[in-house]
Amino acid sequence: MKRFDCLRTIAVAAADALVVTSAGAVTLEWNALRPGDGNFRVRTLGLCSSIALGMALGLPHRKVIALDGDGSLLMNLCSLPTLARMRPKNLLHIVFDNGVYEASGSKKTATATGTDLVAIARAAGIVRARWAHSEDEFRAVVTQALNGRELFFIGAKVTTDRTEVPPYPIDEVENKYRFIRHVEKTENVAILKTNLPASYS
Amino acid sequence: MLCALKVRLIYHRFDVKRVTRSDGKTKVTEEEAAKTIFNGLKAAGINLVATLPDINLAQLLQQVETDRGVIHVPLCREEEGIGICAGAYLVGRKCAAIMQNGGFFNSNNAIVTTLLQYQIPLLLLIYYAGDIGDRTFSTSGSMTEPMLRALGIRYYVMREVADAPELIKRAQILAEDSRRPVALLLTKELLGRRASLKSL
Repeated sequence: MKRFDCLRTIAVAAADALVVTSAGAVTLEWNALRPGDGNFRVRTLGLCSSIALGMALGLPHRKVIALDGDGSLLMNLCSLPTLARMRPKNLLHIVFDNGVYEASGSKKTATATGTDLVAIARAAGIVRARWAHSEDEFRAVVTQALNGRELFFIGAKVTTDRTEVPPYPIDEVENKYRFIRHVEKTENVAILKTNLPASYS
Repeated sequence: MLCALKVRLIYHRFDVKRVTRSDGKTKVTEEEAAKTIFNGLKAAGINLVATLPDINLAQLLQQVETDRGVIHVPLCREEEGIGICAGAYLVGRKCAAIMQNGGFFNSNNAIVTTLLQYQIPLLLLIYYAGDIGDRTFSTSGSMTEPMLRALGIRYYVMREVADAPELIKRAQILAEDSRRPVALLLTKELLGRRASLKSL
């Protein structure tokens, strides 16, 4: 399976879900497929699942999708028991497992030598955790996860193919502001309030 | 005189029960201190709190745990808490992370490459292990303030529980205005804990 094809499947099904993408090429590929202000790019390797969890807890009626990688999740395995403990019904955590630190010189990760991330997720307490072995299976389980009201973890074994896509068009601070404004607009709430006095006080 | 009056007003407002110590200073119990600090967090608008235990924080975490109006996220490691709070901030929550200074050390990459890089505010309540009067982690104590300064994080050492609600409120406003984390260092005396000096 190619990651890009999996992402295309998600883009069709994601509707207005907020999407958090891990540090690495998945961010660029996703942004090429579904550009928009509802995407948040993570720069701290490992934090994708945690940032998505914070969003899911903060906005419990809105679907949140974490697009994670094996190297990233391996760095923050303890996010899995926390996900299981908080059990947000609106969170879908997808891990594209290509067995390498792709953005860092393609050295092997521990999944290349037998570590099973879905087994870890299940052992951490995430009941709905499963591998998708084919594109059809991936489509079916993503649709099930997005239509349901349950915490879901999907592992997808993908090749190391990288699809040629444009660079990410905005920096971190602009990403933050655009994302917050997007949430404000789509949720009809005020998040960024500036209550500074008109003069020095 | 004015100062004394002000202190009394703060005591009155947050209903802190006092016992008088022999040196004339006031001391509150752990539970009362925890309640005052937690009520200060709520008064500052905090509605999501990520925590990892330290024995000195036990009563405060008890308050967080039992309040249904605040989302409590118990962590496995403090760095994930920085991510959780950042994510929740992006969708409109006001967050605080409560941890020991060892947890602050654990969180440094997330603080730099998520909070500082994206300009995301966060109230950090850090138990000051190794502070004067705390004999468990003196090396951690010696590194805490230098590391906060190195990261450009503004911080305040809290010793008087009567000041806590006002300081928490101001720190939260500062974090939001500056779009940066602000740290409050929680000391043993603030939390109503005894200094461990018995063997000396």
